Amino acid sequence: MIYYSRCLKSRIFDRCNEKEQLNQSDLEHILILQVCVLSFLLFFGAHAWADNLTLEVSAPSLVAASEASLLEIDAKADESAWQDEENWDEEWDTGATIADPLEPLNRFFFHFNDKLYYWVLKPVARGYSAILAEEFRISIGNFFDNLLSPGRAVNCLIQGEVKDSSVELARFVLNSTAGIFGFGDFARDILDLRSSEEDTGQTLGYYGLGGVFYIVWPFLGPSNFRDSLGKIGDAYMHPMIYFDADWEVTVGLWTLDKVNYISLTLGDYELFTETALDPYAAVKDAYQQYREGQIKN
Amino acid sequence: MRKYFNYIWKLSVSLLLVMVFLINSGKISATANDAMTQLQKAVDAILVILQSEELRTPERKDERKQLVLDVVNEMFDFRDMARSSLGQNWNSLTQEEQNRFVGLFTSLVEQRYIGKIDSFDNQKVVYRKQLVKGDKAMIYTDIVDKDLEVPIIYKLQEIEGKWLIYDMKIENVSLIVNYRKDFESIIRKEQFAGLVDKITQQLEKLETQN
Repeated sequence: MIYYSRCLKSRIFDRCNEKEQLNQSDLEHILILQVCVLSFLLFFGAHAWADNLTLEVSAPSLVAASEASLLEIDAKADESAWQDEENWDEEWDTGATIADPLEPLNRFFFHFNDKLYYWVLKPVARGYSAILAEEFRISIGNFFDNLLSPGRAVNCLIQGEVKDSSVELARFVLNSTAGIFGFGDFARDILDLRSSEEDTGQTLGYYGLGGVFYIVWPFLGPSNFRDSLGKIGDAYMHPMIYFDADWEVTVGLWTLDKVNYISLTLGDYELFTETALDPYAAVKDAYQQYREGQIKN
Repeated sequence: MRKYFNYIWKLSVSLLLVMVFLINSGKISATANDAMTQLQKAVDAILVILQSEELRTPERKDERKQLVLDVVNEMFDFRDMARSSLGQNWNSLTQEEQNRFVGLFTSLVEQRYIGKIDSFDNQKVVYRKQLVKGDKAMIYTDIVDKDLEVPIIYKLQEIEGKWLIYDMKIENVSLIVNYRKDFESIIRKEQFAGLVDKITQQLEKLETQN
């Protein structure tokens, strides 16, 4: 990723040089130079900031405090892990299965999405991955992922995770600049700042709202009542909404995101559904378990 | 949807790594009783095997696959996994039915992951911690790939001095719980006989595909 940021940066510089040779308007290349300088300042600024961060944390009292609280959290998590374990045999009958009053409709859309995958998305993703190297596709994935950061920051904050919230914010600022519009995950690769992957559905879950009932959306796939509400919240916190883009553009970008993602995971959907007996039930449960896990963290 | 695909990817990679771990575990289990040390040593050793160019040739593909499967059978507690994937239904089966089901279940789980062997590509394993309580252990690991980090928890049980895997949670999705819901959905409508038929059909379909 760093490599790509550098490539992109050098490309910007190349362009600066070209522009000089071409003798374009001064105003234009001053602007470009400013962008270059700014991104470099941010690059080194981030390093300095990271150094400060480590210095602060290495103050003995802080270390002791953070370690103690970490241990506490760990102990709690361990305990709940063993509790799950003790429920292992009881889980047999009482295992939480989400209500599914819409099952006939859900099965219809599951089938629809399945065909959509095999007949449209998979062939498209195959062609797409043939023309674009994996590294570029990962970068494009990073770009779309970066756009979710503001929403994540807000959700962390609502859940009282102030530190995670600031990490998300820092990730967004750093990756959008030093990471070149989010194509590189600068914050993770250089500063080891990791996303907490929060979203509005998890926030609602954190405050006690269950999934209520299972929903399979056409195109969007498995969800439930809570997470569908969450999606609306997420959409309002997505930077795209402030660009006032046409719906064609939004759908186009969403499709690119999806195709790009599928191109990186080709074969996995097939393997999972082909080794399940009732793929609908298997996916429903996987979704349920996966979301429960995310809410707990 | 995105998250869900992510999960599937992770599920696959993780079982692949379990297989990796299994190949060599036979040698190691005699010396190390600690579940984590066992896992760690085994994974390291098997990463070497998977990366070996010799075994990568197309002629030795089946050999490599079989080698993996032999050890998988030895290290996974497939009988216990089959039992808990059936839940209460297990107790109503005759000994013969149980044995047949264990065989089918084993093949089904093997099929889910065998396809992933070829796509193994230098993923790394990070061991975060192990929790041990009596004869049970949970080992927390991360699999680190180019753009992803996959948390996996292995659940092991010590039986006669040997640690056997009886479940794994990939991104908090338990393999056994997932199969339990899957099977339940079939048994509700078609009883146990229907489930057996369905697994048999599914396995035949996968055989012909390969």
